[in-house]
Amino acid sequence: MLSRLRDILPWLAVVILAAWGFWWAGYDRKPDVVDGRTEITWYVMISPLRDLYEADVKEFERLNPHIKVRIIWVPGSELNAKLKILAAAGQLPDLFFTGDVWLRYLLPFKRDITDFVLRDAEEMGLDDYFPEILAAMQLDGRYYIVTESMNLSLLYFNRRLFAEAGVPEPDETWTWDDYVRAGQALTKPGTPGNPGVWGSSRVEGWWGEWIIYVRQSGGDIFTADGQRCLLDTPEAINGLRFYLEKSTKHGISAPAGFEPINGFVNERVAMIVGGHVNYWLNYNQKADLDWDVQLLPAGPVTRKGGELAMAGYSVSKTSRHPEEAWQLAKFLTRPEAVARIVARGSLSVRRSVAEAQMRDARPGDRPPNLAAAYDQFQYGQPIPRHSHYIEILLQIVQPEIDRMLLGEFGPEEAGRRAAEAVNAFLATFHAQQ
Amino acid sequence: MNIRRADQFTFWLFAGPALAGFVAFSLWPMLYSLWLSFCQYEVISPPRFIGLRNYIHLFYYDAAFWPSVKVTLMFTLVQVPLSIIAALAFALLLNQPVRARGFWRAIYFLPSILPQAAYAVIFGYIFQGDGGLLNRLLALVGIEGQPWTMSSDWALPVLIAMSLWAFGYPMVIFLAGLQNVPRELHEAAHIDGAGAGARFRHITLPLLSPVMFFNLIMGVIAALKVFDLAYAFSVTQNMPPGGPARATLFYGLNLYQQAFGFFHMGLASAMAWLLFLFVMVVTVINFRFSRRWVHYEN
Repeated sequence: MLSRLRDILPWLAVVILAAWGFWWAGYDRKPDVVDGRTEITWYVMISPLRDLYEADVKEFERLNPHIKVRIIWVPGSELNAKLKILAAAGQLPDLFFTGDVWLRYLLPFKRDITDFVLRDAEEMGLDDYFPEILAAMQLDGRYYIVTESMNLSLLYFNRRLFAEAGVPEPDETWTWDDYVRAGQALTKPGTPGNPGVWGSSRVEGWWGEWIIYVRQSGGDIFTADGQRCLLDTPEAINGLRFYLEKSTKHGISAPAGFEPINGFVNERVAMIVGGHVNYWLNYNQKADLDWDVQLLPAGPVTRKGGELAMAGYSVSKTSRHPEEAWQLAKFLTRPEAVARIVARGSLSVRRSVAEAQMRDARPGDRPPNLAAAYDQFQYGQPIPRHSHYIEILLQIVQPEIDRMLLGEFGPEEAGRRAAEAVNAFLATFHAQQ
Repeated sequence: MNIRRADQFTFWLFAGPALAGFVAFSLWPMLYSLWLSFCQYEVISPPRFIGLRNYIHLFYYDAAFWPSVKVTLMFTLVQVPLSIIAALAFALLLNQPVRARGFWRAIYFLPSILPQAAYAVIFGYIFQGDGGLLNRLLALVGIEGQPWTMSSDWALPVLIAMSLWAFGYPMVIFLAGLQNVPRELHEAAHIDGAGAGARFRHITLPLLSPVMFFNLIMGVIAALKVFDLAYAFSVTQNMPPGGPARATLFYGLNLYQQAFGFFHMGLASAMAWLLFLFVMVVTVINFRFSRRWVHYEN
C-alpha cells in the first residue's frame, strides 16, 4: 500500500505543479495603479494612423495625469480572434476598436455606454455626428460604440481614362444602364505589350459589391427579424444576375479570376462600385492618379443599398475602469482627432469636420467631388445586424456566389442554394444549440 | 537513500519538468477539448453540455464539413505519393558522387526552410490569372491562360504544386537511408549481371522501405493537417479562407475557422477529435499493410 502510494505521489506532484502553473499563468497580476496612475488598456488595429494614435495617447496622458494608457496593437486580420482569446482568458482590454458590423456579434463583451453618452452629450458633440452614424452607434436604442471613422459605398472613377475615351464623367442621375454604357466605352481589350483596361472592376470574394445590386433591385439578405434568408427572391436574383453579367453579358468587368491586381491604382480599371474610403490613402499616394467619386448609380428599384459602415471604440463589459476608458474614447473621437484622420484621406463621421473638409479643399485635392460622397449618406444602409452575419456571408453564401461567377450555375440556382444553406444553418445550428 | 530510490529521484528530477509540461500543455488541453466537443462553447459564456449535437451537426447539417474532408483527402492522395517520389528521385541524384555535392544538397533543401506564407506569395504571382508568369508564358506559345488560383478546378492542383516544392525533409531522410545501403550488395549484384534498374528495384528499394514507410506516415499525417499553406494562399489571393467555392477549404483550415474565425469552440473540438481518430485509424492501417512491403534487416 505504502509503495503504491509512493508510486502515485510523484504523478500527483506533477499534476499539482501543472495546475499551479495554469493558475499562475492565468492569474491577473496587473495592478490597478502604476506609478500612482490608473492603467487602462487600449486595443487597436495596426494601421497607417499609428503615429496619430501614439501622439493622441501622449496628449491624453498629459491632460489626464492620473491615467496611464497601455496600447495593444493588433493586426487587422487578428482583431476579433485575439479579442475573444483575451476575453476567454479574462483579460479583456478596457477599450477596444470595433465596428457596427460586429456590434451584435461582440455585444456580450461591450458595456452599455448610454449613460456616459447622455451625460457627456454636449461635451462630446453628440449632435455633431451625422444622424446615420448616430443611428449606427446604437442597438435597440442603447449606445455601445463611439464612432471614429466610417465607410460609405461610392462610385469611384478614373478621370483620365474617362477623358481619353471621350466618355462624360458620371453624374448624380446615373443608373445601371449609364454605368454599363460607360463601362463598355471604357473597356479596351489587351494587346501584346498592353494589358488593356476594363470599364469597371468586380469585387470578388466577399459581399462588398453584390449586396449593393441585391438591395438596389429591391432585395435583401435576411428578413427584418433575421430568421430567414431572402437571396432566393426574384429581386435578390436580379441583383446577382447584374453582378454576374458585368462580365458575361455586358463585358465591362474581367471574367472571374482575371481581375487585375490593384486595378484602379494601376489604371487597369476605370470604375469601382462600392470600394472603401480606407483606400483613399493609397490612391492619393500615387500622385498622377486622377480619381473622383460620385453617387452610386441607381438600380432598377432604388438608389439605396450602398454600405454605410462605421468603426470606433467600445468599453469592455468587464473593465474595472470604465470611466477612464470612456474618457479615452471621448478623446480619441473628438472633432480634432477625426479631422486629423480625415486629412489623411477619408470621410468624416462628424458634420463640422465634413463642412471644414469641403470648405478648406484646395485645387488638386482628391476626390474633388466630396459633396457627392457626403450626399451618398442618404442612400447608405448598414449591413444586417445579424450576430452571425460574417460567418453566414463568408462561409455559407460566398461559395455559392463564387460558383456562380465560375459558371457552374446561374443566379437563380446561386440564390436558391445560398438561401437554402443559410436557412438550414439558421434552423439547425442555432435551434440545436 | 538506496539505489532504487536514488534512481527514482533522478528520474523525476529530469523527467518531471517535461512531464509537467506534457500534462499542462498537451494532456490537459486534449482532455478538455474532448469535453468541449460535447458542449456548446462560444467563449462568450461557459460551456454547456449538449451531448452529441456537435457531431450530428457536422455530419448532417454543416455546409463546409464534407467539402473540407473531400479537399483534404484529395490533397493527401495526390500530394503524398508525389512528394515521396520527388524526394526519392532527388535523394538518388544527390547521392551520386558529383562535385560540390554538399552545396547541391543544401540548395535543394533550402525551399523547405522557407515559410509557407512566402510560397503562397511567390506562387500567387506565378499563377495569377491576370498577368501571372505562367499565363504570360502560355500566351507566348498561343495557349489561353486560366484563372488558376480562382478556379475551383485548378486551385487545389496549384496548392499541390506549391507544397511539392518543399520536399527537403523527406529527401534528407531518404539520403540518410541511401547511405546505409551496403555497397557490397550492389557490387555483388553488378558482378552477377544485374543492371541499374534491377539493382534499384531489388536492393535499394527494399532496403529503403523502412525509410519510405516513415516518410509515408509523416507525409500522410502532415497532409491531413495542412493549414498554413492554405491559409496563406487565401490571404494572398484576397479571398475568404478556403476559397474559391471551398476548393481549398482544408480540414485544418475549416477547423481553424470554426475555432478562431467564428468561435464555435465546441464544434471545432469535435472536428479536432474526429481528425485525431481518423489519423489514428489511417496510421494503424498503414502499419498493418506495412508488413507486406516494408523490409527490416533483422
